[in-house]
Amino acid sequence: MPLDISLIIVLVIALALFFDFTNGFHDTANAMATPIATGALKPKTAVTLAAILNLIGAFLSTEVAKTISGGIIKEGEGGVMITPELIFAGLIGAIVWNMLTWLLGLPSSSSHALFGGLIGAALVGAGIGAIDFGVLTSKVLLPAILAPLTAGLIAFIATKLAYGVTRRYDGKPDGRSGFRYGQVFSSSLVALAHGTNDAQKTMGVITLALISVNLQSPSEGVQTWVVVVCAFAIALGTYVGGWRIIKTLGTGLTDVKPAQGFAAETSTAATILASSHLGFALSTTQVASGSVIGSGLGRRGSTVRWKTAGRIGIGWLLTLPAAGIVGAIAAVIAHLGTWGVIFDAVVGVGTILFIFLRSRRDQVGHHNVVSDVAASGEAVVIAPEPESKKVAK
Amino acid sequence: MIDWMAFVIVLAAALAGTVAVVGFYSLGLKMLVRAGRVPVVSPAEFTDAITVLTPAEIKSAAKKAAKAARKNPLSPLQKKIAQFAAYACFTLCGAAVLFGIYLIVPALHG
Repeated sequence: MPLDISLIIVLVIALALFFDFTNGFHDTANAMATPIATGALKPKTAVTLAAILNLIGAFLSTEVAKTISGGIIKEGEGGVMITPELIFAGLIGAIVWNMLTWLLGLPSSSSHALFGGLIGAALVGAGIGAIDFGVLTSKVLLPAILAPLTAGLIAFIATKLAYGVTRRYDGKPDGRSGFRYGQVFSSSLVALAHGTNDAQKTMGVITLALISVNLQSPSEGVQTWVVVVCAFAIALGTYVGGWRIIKTLGTGLTDVKPAQGFAAETSTAATILASSHLGFALSTTQVASGSVIGSGLGRRGSTVRWKTAGRIGIGWLLTLPAAGIVGAIAAVIAHLGTWGVIFDAVVGVGTILFIFLRSRRDQVGHHNVVSDVAASGEAVVIAPEPESKKVAK
Repeated sequence: MIDWMAFVIVLAAALAGTVAVVGFYSLGLKMLVRAGRVPVVSPAEFTDAITVLTPAEIKSAAKKAAKAARKNPLSPLQKKIAQFAAYACFTLCGAAVLFGIYLIVPALHG
């Protein structure tokens, strides 16, 4: 094998695993933001649990990995030759965007970042004809609008149901704190579903790269070592925990109570499970964010901070094009040959380091992930909910 | 081609699953309360996003729950039935969750 092919394949695998890692810590929040916010789980316990379940989840299924390219980029006859350079450039776009949104604490979709990066790179490599816009609309863009709406609606109904069933009109204890136990299980289910979905996206990318340099035949499935390294990369990322995003999702959108948290997590898990079972690709992140907002609307007396929701929404809109632009630029440079690829890699690593160092300035960790909100709760005496005041008489 | 039918099915299936899990769990809690076993689960850490509970507050919540339980108007048999119903609800809720796991693992259903 020529030197530059082995170099690029090693680079692609390393980048893919790093993307997997960012995917893990970006998405810890999806499962664990709400149980941390309500105190159902200690922050450290929560991320450890999520990491273990992601690890298990990654081994459970390789269905998504087999269909990763999803037909968005036309391959083979009359389409694009998928080269390792293209995948490499796409991954750089995805990682840079994931790191940037993490710095801003935005729960953006890792899958969209990956798709965006790959699409941008393919556009440079083969022009506009390489992209199947019909598939792009029906498989990526439309679900991006429908996913949060669906999950939000379900979470809204579930929150109403949870409060309605446990409501007491005599002012005696209603046992709603018991939802904290339920949260442990519902959030675990989300983490497991995440493992089965998102670890596979990286497995699919690595497999695609191996096929492109004929290290593996297209008919073969995902190789075992790929499954193993991807599972560990995402579990490690999950364990490190994207505390900034946990903070946004757990406390930035609405103040989450145990019953709400339980309803939101169940809605997230059910939506992801139903859609992946029925072959409808949804972003875990968008589903989780939609659920949290829906549950915030469902509880009387709670408010949704639409400003934060708007910021998240803008992040979603930008994810695909922004990752695409970075991917496209990386692809242009990578086309210059081996030195271009090395230049890409150096600039990519430099950007990641810069974002990481920038993040040290205002650290968010397990020690302070929701404490300032809790502290404000200490300072302000919150009036009892109007409903309980009314019915207590 | 946008597959609206698939979307409707996802919405219906997810809604049914969520309503089953949340509904049974809530019902289970209600039955527990009725049986005089009010669960008092304090936050694992002081991270409750709205209120910070001091140990004294947690204690008083537990006391209030116990007091309410003592004044329970139900007969012992009724309490037993309520408790049994609560556990039945939690079991159904757990079964719904296990069914969800069964669905995501292809190895289990071929």
